[in-house]
Amino acid sequence: MVLELKNIDKSFGEKEVLKGVSFTAEGGKAFGLLGRNGAGKTTSIRILMNVFPANSGEVLIDGKPIDYDKVGIGYLPEERGLYPKKLIIDQLVYFAELKGMSAKAAVKAVDYWLDRLSMSEYRNKRLDTLSKGNQQKIQLITALAHDPHIVILDEPFSGLDPVNAMLLKDVVKEQIAKGKVVLFSSHQMSYIEEFCDSIAIINAGKVAISGDLHDIKRNYVRDKLVVSTTNPEQIKADLGLICSEREDGTLLIQLASPDEKQAMMKRLVESYDIDEVKVFEPSLNDIFVEYAGARV
Amino acid sequence: MKQFGKILKFELKGYLRNKVFVGFTIFLVALIAIVMFIPNIVSVFKSDEANDTSPAELPTMLIYAEDEALGSIVKEYFGSAFVGYNVKLAEGDVDALKNDIISGNAECAFVMNSAASYTYYVNNLSMYDSNTAIADTVLQEVYRISAMVQNGISAELAGEIMSVQIESSTETLGKDQMQNFFYTYIMIFALYMVILLYGQMVATNVATEKSSRAMEVLITSAKPTAMMFGKVLASCIAGFSQLVLVFGTAILLYNVNGEALSNPLIASIFDIPIELFIYLIVFFVLGFLIYAFMFGAIGSTASKLEDINTSVMPITFLFIIAFMVVVFSMSSGTIDNTAMIVCSYIPFTSPMAMFTRICMSTVAWYEIAISITVLIGSTVGIGVLSAKIYRVGVLLYGMPPKFSTIIKTVFNNK
Repeated sequence: MVLELKNIDKSFGEKEVLKGVSFTAEGGKAFGLLGRNGAGKTTSIRILMNVFPANSGEVLIDGKPIDYDKVGIGYLPEERGLYPKKLIIDQLVYFAELKGMSAKAAVKAVDYWLDRLSMSEYRNKRLDTLSKGNQQKIQLITALAHDPHIVILDEPFSGLDPVNAMLLKDVVKEQIAKGKVVLFSSHQMSYIEEFCDSIAIINAGKVAISGDLHDIKRNYVRDKLVVSTTNPEQIKADLGLICSEREDGTLLIQLASPDEKQAMMKRLVESYDIDEVKVFEPSLNDIFVEYAGARV
Repeated sequence: MKQFGKILKFELKGYLRNKVFVGFTIFLVALIAIVMFIPNIVSVFKSDEANDTSPAELPTMLIYAEDEALGSIVKEYFGSAFVGYNVKLAEGDVDALKNDIISGNAECAFVMNSAASYTYYVNNLSMYDSNTAIADTVLQEVYRISAMVQNGISAELAGEIMSVQIESSTETLGKDQMQNFFYTYIMIFALYMVILLYGQMVATNVATEKSSRAMEVLITSAKPTAMMFGKVLASCIAGFSQLVLVFGTAILLYNVNGEALSNPLIASIFDIPIELFIYLIVFFVLGFLIYAFMFGAIGSTASKLEDINTSVMPITFLFIIAFMVVVFSMSSGTIDNTAMIVCSYIPFTSPMAMFTRICMSTVAWYEIAISITVLIGSTVGIGVLSAKIYRVGVLLYGMPPKFSTIIKTVFNNK
């Protein structure tokens, strides 16, 4: 299954929130939707879920317009919250039923997930008696119980302790292995890097960059060198402004163009005591700051 | 449609599990039961007390007249006219009589200046003191009889002339406003209470979902129209069952205990003709729905529960004005005045206005049909509109938006 958003425009009143947003997410892979606060991630997700229509553009499944009666979507919203005063089993079954399950199937699925997330003991408790992390797990069940085709997780790891984060990782991997489209939205880059094969970075309503994460990294302009050396002071003094020291003590050398790479490496190895020289590979964090940081 | 059923079930369960709701219903039923048995309870106490009451305990009314003959005639007549008093002739002069009143030995006194003129003395004049009015009537009669006797008519004949009874009977060809007044009033008041109470509940319910962020999941799981109609109909069913319980208890107990309540006023309340009862249900349900939809839409625009009270004010005002027009028209006696006729076609006021007109006046069938059609149309319209406002409103956080902004967004979002 391939989910595709194509040229989505959306404005609220005068304010243009999305300007031609397009991205593609495949089944069996996790997709990371990144962007700063207010970039338009939640709006994109809401259009994808048909909460409100786009001004123009399409949401496609395998090239055809999405049929919301047939394609199930599970959603873990960033703004967490359910009915604080109602019993956990009641509200979970209610949400599963709203997604089209029969009462019997809903109870069965909810019980499976309560057990899977080791929450069975809270089945007949009120939601507001639970800790924040446990409420988070209950909320996750509303996104997964009806076995959706598309799973959208907005900041799924926030507020979870390491044990619960591990549990969630397993669940997410399981969903990916089942061939579902898993859409992540998070500011915690390490998790995105761990799960996501492809990403899209949205900045001010436009997709700044999207595609396979490895490709993005590889296509990153290779005009920086990372140098590990015993006498950084000497190199810094000789090279001047193009050389800066990184937090881990290595040096980062900015080249005028990628073509100078070979010459600079040779010069460094011949002139100084060098432990290691390599081309700088950006982390997702670096990519994010570069593409999402710029104001458009 | 499937979603609607599930939402309705969930919301109804919410009402049934709400301890305040259940407690309040039980309280109302108990209250009605007590009210219906008040005559029995009172009569139990009364039968004990009745024997103890002796004339000595009645308040004293003094009569004073210079002319002793006049004094004794007046005393005789007043004695039979003022059954609640022990009427006595004053023994001293006017000053002694005033002292008696101030000290509390007597409650009031009539000092006769002549057969047609008196001064009434009383310590604190109560708002409901009708003694002078009674005295006027009695004295007029005394004066007339004595005048007739003086002019040669025998005392018996004079008495007969004065006490002639006019026999009359009224046949109501239209509606008897006096008889219908009370149950119309009770129904209008019940409608008023239920709409305000449950409207507020719907608004709070929506705002709670929004402030607890349960909305974030809900809005992606269910259609706003299904949400809105499910919620509002659930509150309607809850409210209606509460009313049926309360009025059902009243009717049941009236049938059980009807004899003790043999008061024509109470009888008139329970004597609603069946077709009025059907109209009552129609207008009740439609009136309830149209307001509940508006309350729901308003609730969706508030981000915090505290905002609701100010947000619902325009609707509450609209509703109170409708109530006022109806109640004032009822008590003015001219039910079919212009304001009422206009109000009986405006969907926000017609549930009360048209129902009142049907109860207390004669309304042509086509007028009723037009009114109900307009009301049904507007209820559905308001329902759909409020679902749209709801979809926009629930995702807006922060300051409650202006009404014009919402309407603009709703129509731009198509």
